[in-house]
Amino acid sequence: MLRYFAIRLFRALITIAMVVTFAFVVLRMSGDPAILIMGPEVPPEALEAFRKSWGLDQPIWVQYLNYFGAILRGDLGMSMRDNRPALDMVMDRIPATLALTVPALILKLAIGVPAGVWAALHQGTGFDRAVMVMAVAGFAIPSFILALVLVLVFAVTLGWLPSGGQGGVEHMILPVLTMGIGGAAALARFTRSAMLEVLGRPYIRTASAKGLPWASVVRGHALPNAAIPTVTLIGFLVGSLIAGAVVVESVFSWPGVGRMLVVAVGSRDLAVVQVILLLVAATMVTSNLIVDFLYGVLDPRLRQGARAA
Amino acid sequence: MADISAQAPFRLTLPRLPWYVWAALIWIVLVLVVAVFAPLLTPHPYTAMKLTNRFVPPFDRWTHPLGTDELGRDVLSRLIISVRISLLIAFGATLISAVLGTTLGFLAAHFRGWVEQLVLTLADFQAAMPFLIMALSVLAFFGNSLPLLIGLMGLYGWERYARVARGLAISANTQGYATAVTQLGAAPQRIYLRHILPNIASTLIVSMTLVFPEVILVESGLSFLGLGVQPPMTSLGNMVGYGRDYITRAPWIMLSPAVVIVLTTLAVSMLGDWLRDKLDPTLG
Repeated sequence: MLRYFAIRLFRALITIAMVVTFAFVVLRMSGDPAILIMGPEVPPEALEAFRKSWGLDQPIWVQYLNYFGAILRGDLGMSMRDNRPALDMVMDRIPATLALTVPALILKLAIGVPAGVWAALHQGTGFDRAVMVMAVAGFAIPSFILALVLVLVFAVTLGWLPSGGQGGVEHMILPVLTMGIGGAAALARFTRSAMLEVLGRPYIRTASAKGLPWASVVRGHALPNAAIPTVTLIGFLVGSLIAGAVVVESVFSWPGVGRMLVVAVGSRDLAVVQVILLLVAATMVTSNLIVDFLYGVLDPRLRQGARAA
Repeated sequence: MADISAQAPFRLTLPRLPWYVWAALIWIVLVLVVAVFAPLLTPHPYTAMKLTNRFVPPFDRWTHPLGTDELGRDVLSRLIISVRISLLIAFGATLISAVLGTTLGFLAAHFRGWVEQLVLTLADFQAAMPFLIMALSVLAFFGNSLPLLIGLMGLYGWERYARVARGLAISANTQGYATAVTQLGAAPQRIYLRHILPNIASTLIVSMTLVFPEVILVESGLSFLGLGVQPPMTSLGNMVGYGRDYITRAPWIMLSPAVVIVLTTLAVSMLGDWLRDKLDPTLG
């Protein structure tokens, strides 16, 4: 068990190191940041001073090591536009993003999981077909189109809700709905297929053959086994909370991390993009670790396997 | 043994497909025809502005069946060119990603050892990081041009082909036919390209039909954010993005490309799901 987690933890650290390397390679090899930021008409002395103050005059591998060291010390650089620590700027925006993504996640779970389980238990019924149609539609309608359709209906035509900006609860309804509906559809489809696969297994037949009531078979045998793949997807949803907010925050002009990323990309603010990239990677890796831990709890076979290995 | 003369005479019959697969196929063919012949089909040049003709609603004048936008450009003409650009990116990206992924999968299967570990680690990394975030970081610092966008989108989904190709190639290597040609002295590239690839092609094609609609969605999302295809060029996501500013006054500017995006992804993914069920139900 301990070995199992040690391996997972090691792989998580490798992933983070790869993200740091990726960020470094992409952000530094793409051109001269000095010219990108200062503009081509700036006198050479100013460019030189800029390079020196950002350490851009050193060999690339020195920059790489410095970069790694700085990140380990928690020094993630200053925003080249605002001259504030990029980490602080991003941290300021996190509550706004969580205010949207956490309710959206709850909505996804509250709709997606029960709908998927119910559809699998009543396979072939009208409800099952409706869930499948919703799931396919939820996949094919990208969030920015769903968002605009919701704005068109509830803000422009009916005038019930604001079309964007930050304010009271009424400002949050449309963005949360946009994120929640799409995610719920995907989760329902996945839960349904996980559940169907489990229901076809011999141990389910054995359990009902020995006379267990169907409700106990479902509760005691089907649900715990179907939970294993579903937890993976939920982990992925938690890990992509920030990534999922990029488009929706932009549509609704919500001042969160996602919109900040789009603005930073547009204005080529290296430091801010790096911080957000690392933040997304860290969230992803952490939620994967939690999922791995939950696997150990949910699936006794895995504990046995790890001990035997 | 069956008597050959007893076989039914050859007759051209339409294959029996579910109605939704027919609908999907018809839509895909329509979109492909539009994409290929786009410059011949546009009623107006797609960049032609006419400021006296701004915000003409759809079905109002027969010269502008889908209306005009904020600069008086014909929405139908822009839509046709957008379909061409979006499909060009999606096809290019899907091909690049399939070739890249399959090659890496074959390399992993052939060399095993550290090469395999490297490919698998990269694949895990790609699968774990949200693609949109990585794409945004790359676009921010390389600027954007059409070839770069296609190349970047070509990284989308490569890990799925790599995993599938690696798994199938490893099992193919243990089967008789691959061993036989190895014994005959065929070079590895000949074994992989001439013998193993045709045997696993159906699975890879199914993977492509499953990845293709996602590529359309990611590209349109990037273009929607103003970070993908740049004006004066236009793509479906780009049209929705710029049309958003006129959602109150002229919702038709964004609605027609939005409908095309949804129908196209719907059609390709329904076809892909159906193909998967037919050819290879084991694929996720």
